[in-house]
Amino acid sequence: MTETQSLPLIEFRDVVKNYKSEAGIFPALKGINLQVERSEFLGIIGKSGAGKSTLLNMFTGVDELTSGEVIVHANGESISLHTLSENDLALWRGRTMGVIYQSFQLLPMLTLVQNVMMPMDMSGLYHPRKSREKALELLDMVELIEHAHKLPAYISGGQQQRVAIARALANDPPVIVADEPTGSLDSVTADHIFQLFERLVQSGRTIVMVTHDKGLVPRFSRHIEIVDGELLPPSNSPLMGENHSFPLRGKVGKGAK
Amino acid sequence: MRPRWRKVFSDLIDNKARTLLVVFSIAVGVFAIGVLVGAYEIISTDMSVSYAANNPSNIEIRMSDFDEEFLHTLGNVEGVEDVEGRWVFGIRVRPLGSDEWTSLNVITIDNFEENKINLLSPVSGTAAPEKNQILLQKEIFEDFDVAPGDTIEFQLSDQTVKSIVVAGIVADSSTDAIDFLAPPLGYITPKTLRLFNEPEGNFNRLYATVGEGKDDEDHIKDVLSNIKDKVEKNDYMVWRAFNSKTHEHPLESTINAVLGILFALGVLILFLSSSLIANTLSALLNQHLRHIGVMKLIGGRDKLIFRMYIVLLFAFGVLSLVIAVPLGGQGAYALSEFMGTKIGFELLGYRIVPLAFIVQILIGILVPLAAGLVPVIKGSRVTVQKALSGDLAREADEGGEKKESRLESFQIRAVSVLADRGIRISRPLLVSLRNTFRQRNRLILTLFTLLMGGATFISVFNVRVSLTEYIQVVGNYFLADVTISFEKLYRINEVQQFAMDDPRVTAVEGWAFASAEILYDDDTVADNVDILAPPAESPLVNPLLVDGRWIAPTDKRKLAISESVYDSYPDLQAGDKIPLKILGREEIWEVVGIFKFIGMEGTIAYAPYEYIAKETNVVNQSASFRIVSDSHELEVQEELAKDLDAFFRDNGFQVSETSPGLSMLNEASESIDILITFLLIMAVLTAVVGAMGLAGTMSMNVLERTREIGIMRAVGATDFEIIRMVLVEGLLIGMISFVLSILVAFPFTYLLSWIVSSATFETPIAVVFTPVGYGIWLGLVILLSVLASVIPARGAARLTIREVLAYE
Ligand SMILES: Nc1ncnc2c1ncn2[C@@H]1O[C@H](COP(=O)(O)OP(=O)(O)OP(=O)(O)O)[C@@H](O)[C@H]1O
Ligand SMILES: [Mg+2]
Repeated sequence: MTETQSLPLIEFRDVVKNYKSEAGIFPALKGINLQVERSEFLGIIGKSGAGKSTLLNMFTGVDELTSGEVIVHANGESISLHTLSENDLALWRGRTMGVIYQSFQLLPMLTLVQNVMMPMDMSGLYHPRKSREKALELLDMVELIEHAHKLPAYISGGQQQRVAIARALANDPPVIVADEPTGSLDSVTADHIFQLFERLVQSGRTIVMVTHDKGLVPRFSRHIEIVDGELLPPSNSPLMGENHSFPLRGKVGKGAK
Repeated sequence: MRPRWRKVFSDLIDNKARTLLVVFSIAVGVFAIGVLVGAYEIISTDMSVSYAANNPSNIEIRMSDFDEEFLHTLGNVEGVEDVEGRWVFGIRVRPLGSDEWTSLNVITIDNFEENKINLLSPVSGTAAPEKNQILLQKEIFEDFDVAPGDTIEFQLSDQTVKSIVVAGIVADSSTDAIDFLAPPLGYITPKTLRLFNEPEGNFNRLYATVGEGKDDEDHIKDVLSNIKDKVEKNDYMVWRAFNSKTHEHPLESTINAVLGILFALGVLILFLSSSLIANTLSALLNQHLRHIGVMKLIGGRDKLIFRMYIVLLFAFGVLSLVIAVPLGGQGAYALSEFMGTKIGFELLGYRIVPLAFIVQILIGILVPLAAGLVPVIKGSRVTVQKALSGDLAREADEGGEKKESRLESFQIRAVSVLADRGIRISRPLLVSLRNTFRQRNRLILTLFTLLMGGATFISVFNVRVSLTEYIQVVGNYFLADVTISFEKLYRINEVQQFAMDDPRVTAVEGWAFASAEILYDDDTVADNVDILAPPAESPLVNPLLVDGRWIAPTDKRKLAISESVYDSYPDLQAGDKIPLKILGREEIWEVVGIFKFIGMEGTIAYAPYEYIAKETNVVNQSASFRIVSDSHELEVQEELAKDLDAFFRDNGFQVSETSPGLSMLNEASESIDILITFLLIMAVLTAVVGAMGLAGTMSMNVLERTREIGIMRAVGATDFEIIRMVLVEGLLIGMISFVLSILVAFPFTYLLSWIVSSATFETPIAVVFTPVGYGIWLGLVILLSVLASVIPARGAARLTIREVLAYE
C-alpha cells in the first residue's frame, strides 16, 4: 500500500493502438506516454476522431492494445491491465474503476436503485441489504432518491447520467473514467454533472474525463490534448487557435462556466 | 431480489411474446414426446396385461359340430391345459323401437362362473346371465345405446323376431382379438339356446390353452397341429384355426409399429422445436449484447453472465414443463384409451407414467440448455468493446462484410438486368430481399423447420392416398357385391336359382374352404394357412401376382399363396414344392404363384374349387356364396344384401351372415383411418412448430429492425410500405421453404410409406402422390407467412417515431 502510494496511479508506456479494417491498418494511438496522479481531475481533449475514446478504452482495458503497457497502481498492487484475462479484468474493473459513457448505458429493465446496485452485486463486495442502502445513499447524493424505483426510460437524460455516475461510484472505486459524460446534455445539466465531479475530486477520487469541449479546460486540475493519436506537449497548445471549429460546443462550455 | 436475478426475471416477463414463443416451442416438443412415451408405456403394459388377465385361448378352431365327449378327448391331447367348447351363431339385434339391425355373434358358454378361457370382465350389470338373458360386449355401443335391464329385439335366420333382456355389459378382450373387423358379441347360457331355436349340447368352436410355453409360438403351433390331427382323424372338418400367445395381444406388434412411427415423428418435432429455440435464443442474445457489455463494464465476469443466461434458459424449460407435462399426461392417456377402444383392450386406469414424466423433464430442461448453449457461450464471451458497439458481425463470421457486399453486387447486377427488360423493382422491395438474407443462420434454421414440417405434412397426405389405393388393390380379392354365408352346406344350383330370382343378380359362385398348415422340411409347423377355393376361372378375384401364375381348373395339389409365406420360406419361388398338412394328411403341394395381400391377416392361399371340393367331399355344395350384381355401388350392394338376406331366410335357408362387398373394404379403410388420424395429428404438430418458427423469425427480424423502421417512417415511408416490406420477406421465406418441401416430400413419402406399410401390412406398398397435401400446405404456408409477418409489422408500424428511436 505504502509502496504504491508514492507511484502515479496510472501509467501509459508507449501505448500504440492500430485498428485493422478492410481498408488497411489505421493507427489510432501512436505511442502514448502519460501518467495520472492520485486525486487529480484530468481532462483529455481533442477533436472528433482524434482518438480520445480509443485512449480511454486503454484506461478501462475494454479494448486490446497493439503494443505498450498500461499500469495501474491501486489497492496496494500494480497491475499491467492488458496482461489480465478478460474475466479478471472485468472483476478488477468492477472494483477499481467507475466507467461513464456519453450514452448512459443503464439497463432498461432495472429500476434506478437496481442499476446502481448491479456493480456491487457483480463484485460481491457487499451484502445485498448493505448494497441497497448504499445505492440509495448514492442516489440521494445525485439528488434522485425520489425516483429510485422508476425505470430509466421514465427519467430525463441528465437524470440518467447522474444514475450512471451513482452506479460508477457504487464500489467506491479510486478511479472514475468518463467518456463525454456531458456530451448529450444541455449546458445547465452538464454544469450540474460537472459540479458533481468536482465534489468527487475534492473527496479524494481520481477522475479522467474525455471531452471535445475546450471551454471546460479551466475546470480540470490538468488537461492533455490529443491530435491524430498523439499527445501534444502541455505548454504547446496550437489547438486553442482552432477553437472556432467547435463553435457550438464552445458556447456550451462557456455557458457552463 | 439481487439485481442480477431481477434482470433475469425481467428478461423473462418483459417480452411476453418472445417468452411465450420460446416456451411454446419447447412445450410442443415435450408434449409430443410425453404423449408418445406415455402412450407407449400404457399401451404396451395394459394391452398385454389386460389381455393375459383374461386367460386368452392359445388355440381357436372353428370346426364342424362336436359334442362334450369329443371335447373331453381333445382335452387329453398332449400339451393342452384347458379346453372349452362353445356354440357360436349369428343373429341380428336392434334396440326396441329401432329398425336398424346390427349383426351379433352369440357365444354360448356352459358355465359363466367356472369358465377358464377367454374370460369376460363385467362393465355394468351382471357377468353371469340367467335363462333367457344375454350379455353384450361393450363394443355394441358403437352401434347403439343399451343398458342392463333393457330389452332388445333379435331376428333369427328364419326371420322370426323375438326379444331378450340384456343382463349386463361386459368387455371381452380375447375372443376375436385378432380380427378387429369382427361383429360385436353376445353371451348366453345353454339354457337360452331354445329361445334362439338353436340345438343344445353341440359346439362349433374349440378354445384351448396350452400348459406350458404359453408364449412360445412354435410350441403352440405344434399343439394346434396335434389337435387338428385328432379332429380330422375323427372326421370333423376344420374351417379355420388360429394360434396366439398369452402375453401378447395379437395386434400388439402392429400397434407397437404404429407407436414407433409416431415416436419417430415426435423426435422430429422435438428436433425442430430445438432448432426453433436455438434461433430464438441467439436472437435474444443478440438483442442483449449491449446489456452484456454493460454488465461486463461494471465488473461482470463471463461465468456470472453465463450463469444468468443459463438460469434464464432453465426458467424457459420449467415454464414449458408446467404446460407440457400435464397436457402430455392427459394426451398419453387419451391416446391409449382411443387405441384401447378401437382395438379392444382394457386400460388399467389413469396414471402418471414415471418414464414419460422423467423423459419430459429431462427434455424440457436439456433441450433449451443444449439449444441455447452455443449462443449463450458466445454471448457471455463477447468483449465489452464489441458488445457496446453492437459490433458482432466481425465476431460472428470473419468474411461477413465481404459476403454482404457480394450479395449486394449480385443484387445490383440483377436489378439492372431486370431493368433492362423493363422490370423495375422498388426500393422497399429490395430492402426486404436483402433483409431476408441478412441473418443467414436464422434463415437456414427457419427454412429447415418449415421445410421439415411441410415435407412431413405433404408426405402424410401422400401416404394416406397410397394406403387407400392399396386397400382398393386388396379389394380385388373381394370383388363380390354380396357375400352370403350359411350355417350349413347348400347345393350350389339351388342357391343359384334362388339368387337369380332377383333381377339385379348377374352371377353366383359357391366357394369352398380348407384349413392347412405349412410345414418345414423336418415336419414342424411353419404357419397356418387358410385355403380359399373359388372356381378357378372366377372373375371375383383379381390377384396382384408378384411371382408365377394364378390357379387353373385342372390344378391338383397346387396353390397360389400370399406373400407372407416368405416369413417361413424366404426364398420361395413359383414352381417350388412345399410340404403341407391338409385335411389330416401330409402332402407335397406346388406353389404356382405368389400374390400380395395384407400380411396382418395371416397367410392365405387360393386353390381351385374343383379340386378342394372334391377333396373335402362337398362337390357342388357350399356354405359361402359370392354374388355379383349389375351395380357395384356400396348403397346398391347394401340394398341387395338386405333383400337377399330376407329372401333366403324367407325360403328357409339358415343364413349366418350377409355382407355387402365394399363394407369389408370400408371397415379396413376405417382402421387405416385411425392410423392416418395419428399421422395427421403429427403433421399438424410439425406444421405448428414450422409456423412458430416462421412467426418467431419474422417477429425477431422486425424487432431487430424497429429502429430501422422508425427511421424509414421518419423519412416518409407509409405504414403500408413498411408492412409490405416485411410481408414480402415472410412470403419469400415461405415460398422458398415450399419449393424445398416439394423436393424433400419425395424421399419422405417413400420412407413414411415404407415404415407404415411394413408395420401394418408387413409388406411395402406402391407409393401414390396426391396434389392435396401440396395444395393444403401451400395454402397454409401463404397464410402463415402473411400472419407471421403482418402481425409483428403492424405492431412495429404502430409505434410512433419517437418510441421507435428510443427503442432499446
Ligand atoms: N473499430 C474501429 N475500426 C477502425 N477504425 C476505428 C475504430 N474505432 C475508431 N476508429 C478510428 O480511430 C480514430 C479515433 O477514434 P475515436 O473513437 O477514438 O475518436 P474520438 O476522439 O473519440 O472521436 P469523437 O469525439 O467523435 O468521439 C478515428 O479516426 C476512427 O475512425
Ligand atoms: Mg469518442
